[in-house]
Amino acid sequence: MKQELDPASPARHPDNPRSTARLFGHPLHPMLVPFPIVCFIGALLTDLAYLGSANIMWSNFSIWLITAGLVMGGLAALTGIIDYAGDKRVRAARPATPHMIINLSVFVIEIFNAFVHSRDGWTSVVPTGLTLSVISVLLLAVSAWLGGSLVYKHRVGVRS
Amino acid sequence: MSRGKTYGGVGLVALALAVSACDDGGAKFDRNSQIGPNPVLPEQHQYLIPPIHVAEVVGWGPNETPTAPAGMRVQAFARDLNHPRNVALLPNGDVLVVESQGPNLDPITRPKNPIVSFVQKRATGQSSDTPKGPTNQITLLRDANGDGVPEQRSVLLAKLNSPFGVVFADNFLYVAATDAILRYPFTPGQSRITAAPVRLTELPGGPIDHHWTKSLTLSPDGKLLYATVGSNSNITENGMEAEKNRAAVWEVERSTGRSRVFGSGLRNPNSPSFYPGTNTLWVVVNERDELGPNLVPDYLTSVRDGGFYGWPYSYYGRHVDPRVQPQRPDLVARAIAPDYALSSHVAALGLTFYTGANLPQRYRGGAFIGEHGSWDRDELNGYKVAFVPFTNARPSGKVQDFLTGFVKDGKVRGRPVGVAVDRTGALLVADDTGNAVWRVSSAPATALAGRRP
Repeated sequence: MKQELDPASPARHPDNPRSTARLFGHPLHPMLVPFPIVCFIGALLTDLAYLGSANIMWSNFSIWLITAGLVMGGLAALTGIIDYAGDKRVRAARPATPHMIINLSVFVIEIFNAFVHSRDGWTSVVPTGLTLSVISVLLLAVSAWLGGSLVYKHRVGVRS
Repeated sequence: MSRGKTYGGVGLVALALAVSACDDGGAKFDRNSQIGPNPVLPEQHQYLIPPIHVAEVVGWGPNETPTAPAGMRVQAFARDLNHPRNVALLPNGDVLVVESQGPNLDPITRPKNPIVSFVQKRATGQSSDTPKGPTNQITLLRDANGDGVPEQRSVLLAKLNSPFGVVFADNFLYVAATDAILRYPFTPGQSRITAAPVRLTELPGGPIDHHWTKSLTLSPDGKLLYATVGSNSNITENGMEAEKNRAAVWEVERSTGRSRVFGSGLRNPNSPSFYPGTNTLWVVVNERDELGPNLVPDYLTSVRDGGFYGWPYSYYGRHVDPRVQPQRPDLVARAIAPDYALSSHVAALGLTFYTGANLPQRYRGGAFIGEHGSWDRDELNGYKVAFVPFTNARPSGKVQDFLTGFVKDGKVRGRPVGVAVDRTGALLVADDTGNAVWRVSSAPATALAGRRP
């Protein structure tokens, strides 16, 4: 399924790494990643709000955000792994492997975080839950940067 | 690849964290060390997935009964009830059976809620085939000749709002529904009540109604009612505002309905009972979950006027629970340690002091306790009627098994709840999962002689 060369595209990169998980030519992975990113950052913020207020509403927000982040993050991981497996040029891009490993680590940490947040009361957040939320967001910052590099520098999924 | 190893290390750290959190805190723990006035309290454990063990509910076969000590006879006083939770006696010897189910008002505030409520419903056999018949009603059973086989059965009151406690005084029947104490005009001998009730006192019901069983007793002078109101959460996870006037025993003036909190800090108190011949109120209390299979032991305690017994801030005196924020060292400082631990997660719900003459001498003056049974520890605990001997109106010895056999081959046949002594001195036990009321009496001498070798 060789695609026609778009006359408007710069022809200097005729052979960009291709995304395998696509919908009408649009890579799915970049559409899904904002959900877990926003949810996990949101959970960190609501954890901090709980730390400051001891108002149980905030810890409830956190566990819903973590749960939603895991569901959507699972789909993002699936499409990301398909892209990674589907084209060896994707795998050859230097940020690809660390991007995947860091994101999977975040996913695993947030699974533990969901269980910690399912405890009752203060210790559902302080200190372990909050710590895991902080670690996740720091890791996300690195992996998101690497994900950006994959698209903007290595042109993964960019139409040739 | 070395880079990959570094990243993989993060996952390993998380895994190690999980494994350390999964240590179950003592499979070899001696449960007997948590019986009596000074229970051994192990270290707190908090879990990723707390231990849960809910056995399959199989019910009772037509000829099966629980097992009592030698020399006792166990009869099915009634079967085919729908979640009988409590039994009570009327002055004429009629037996009231309170059939009841929770109001299911717990909101889904977290993804955990539907999972836990599914587990707990499975434990009482409510998930599969219910409702079998009408519940939330009071059934009257009349055994005029005292042979343990009621000749008459009628529905005294129907369509109640999750009732539990029921008490008769001065031609009134007082029913503790989950949201109010109702007062019905009633003459013993009646088999049906058609009169409308007076709402004597509102009790904390919804919008959240986690521990919903409100039990009742009458003061020795007959002027006051004591009602129990359980907490609205395991450990304040529904917010402190939901706990107002809960986890407490209320005192209610019978003539006016005026109420006040009598004792507090009692997480889920049930079956308040005055020790015969005294003005001391006793109650059985279910303590908190998710600190370990052996924390926190449920207990039997006397309740002092104005006494604070710890929940949610602490347990057994000054053992602080870190899950409560903000903490209250001022309240922890005056928390009273309960009188008598009953072992962890046995779910003590029923309590009656034995004043009859039918059972052997050794039971007189002691306490029968209905232990509904555990769901949040690996090894099942409770699932029996226990007996605590009393001397000089104080507990005086180890818990003894009285009625057992509710679990057989790891499967649940029934779960005892409320207990009462009938007119003849036999013990009645409501079994909400076995849908029966059991009657335990001394075996007739001939039957005993026949059994001897």
